[in-house]
Amino acid sequence: MSILRDTLERANDGISPAQPLVDGRSLSKSFGSLVALAPLDLAIGAGERVALAGPSGSGKSTLLYILAGLIQPDDGQLFLDSKPVTDLQPGRQLSESVGLIQQQLDLVAQLPVVQNVLAGRLGQWSLWRSLTSLFSARERNSALDALSRLGIADKIDEPTSQLSGGEQQRVAIARLMLQAPKITLADEPVSSLDPARADEILGLLSALATDTGGALIASLHSPDLIQAHFTRVIGLREGVIQFDIPARELTAPVLEALYDLDRDSQN
Amino acid sequence: MIWTGTPRTKGLARLFEARRLLSLILVGAFVWSLTGVGWKDGILHTGGGDAIKDFSLALFPPELSPGFLRLALAASWQTVVHAVAGITLAIIVGVPLGIIASGSLGNPGRTRLAVAVGVRFLLAFMRSIHELVWAVLFVAAFGLSSMAVVLAIAIPYAGILGRIYSELLNDVPEGPLDGLRSAGASPTEVLFYGRMPMVLTDLLSYSFYRFECAIRAAAIMSFVGIRGLGFEIQLSLSDLMFSEVWTLLLFLFGLVLLVDYWSTRVRRSLGS
Repeated sequence: MSILRDTLERANDGISPAQPLVDGRSLSKSFGSLVALAPLDLAIGAGERVALAGPSGSGKSTLLYILAGLIQPDDGQLFLDSKPVTDLQPGRQLSESVGLIQQQLDLVAQLPVVQNVLAGRLGQWSLWRSLTSLFSARERNSALDALSRLGIADKIDEPTSQLSGGEQQRVAIARLMLQAPKITLADEPVSSLDPARADEILGLLSALATDTGGALIASLHSPDLIQAHFTRVIGLREGVIQFDIPARELTAPVLEALYDLDRDSQN
Repeated sequence: MIWTGTPRTKGLARLFEARRLLSLILVGAFVWSLTGVGWKDGILHTGGGDAIKDFSLALFPPELSPGFLRLALAASWQTVVHAVAGITLAIIVGVPLGIIASGSLGNPGRTRLAVAVGVRFLLAFMRSIHELVWAVLFVAAFGLSSMAVVLAIAIPYAGILGRIYSELLNDVPEGPLDGLRSAGASPTEVLFYGRMPMVLTDLLSYSFYRFECAIRAAAIMSFVGIRGLGFEIQLSLSDLMFSEVWTLLLFLFGLVLLVDYWSTRVRRSLGS
């Protein structure tokens, strides 16, 4: 871990304090006539753990997918690690900067667990290496190591489809551990988990972000979990930032107002 | 709000009407075709009823003499060999062509699109010509050899398989693919880590189904003079030996059942 920390400190030295890890300027996105994100500014620094809250359709997923480089914003600029995201070569460079855990987990159910975990290395591997690894897993030990830290080392050779939701969550996290991006994104990582497991998974994600000295940005709804695991909370509604406050200042009325169904009809 | 038909619903209504019109035309064509049947003269020609009766009764029992069973077995073997060789070649050719036609290999761009479209045209050409027509061509070229049958089956079947493979590969959920992309996978890695494993069982079961079809195709290659089950059926038919025909048909049926059983076993071993 110390080597990693040294590297990160050196990397951090290179960043001017003016440029945060995630720097989005007037990002906007529409799908047809539906405005998913109104022009929106976002700055997130190294070490921050940011929760995105907001009702469905508020633009949380769209924002996360834009940050992940998976969809292009209609307008605006996005800098990751002080480089314009359009300059990051998809594959290696992008996957070093940013990694995403999707809402539906979206592992390849037909592959064994070990291959889903090793997929985190695809950005680094050559095509030849990744194709041969499908037949005889390369770097199996690093996959085993990640899975052991998550407590499911015994599942390494099972078909991913046989795992429970919570176990698949860990596989997705293990993949991210191998990818080791600076910015970890998670789209509703705990929406399908019971409270105890949700707490555990968020603990793992924030530990991962702390270990790599990067940032964690996750969408979720529970005020307790937000306060326990995050440093900052951003409320989104209809693609507009409603509030951006330290997580400890989040109160129930603030969150209720954000989710209030009747608010629009009163306008 | 006062309801006024929006252009959108008008457009939908028009589409609906057009579809109904098409159905009406098709039903009309069917009814008209019935007038083409010579109802007055009877559908069966003279003695046709007796022929059907003779043929049906010949099933009890079919020809089961050891000599004929040996002949049926040899003919079945010949047909299976042709079908296996044909479908194997079709898969070997169809998989890469299907992958290229799906446009999921290599980086996105004009070249990839152009190559994919070109291969789709090639596949369409291969399958637009029936295996019997290919067989006529190849028998003219190679004579009555197994090579002619194998190629005649392999070419149109590669065209069909390639097309289905490319559709299967394109028709997978995007979620897991996005997951791989965000982990840094290139399009080709997405193909091998995502699309391929996701469609593997469908791909296999469709290939097995096509193998069944290849057995039927190999059997009717008798029309161009190639030996096999169909050839023997033709000989027995022309001798009016209906019980022999039944034996041969049962062998053909048995072959299809065997392939079906094999396919189920393979798919089960893949855990689906």
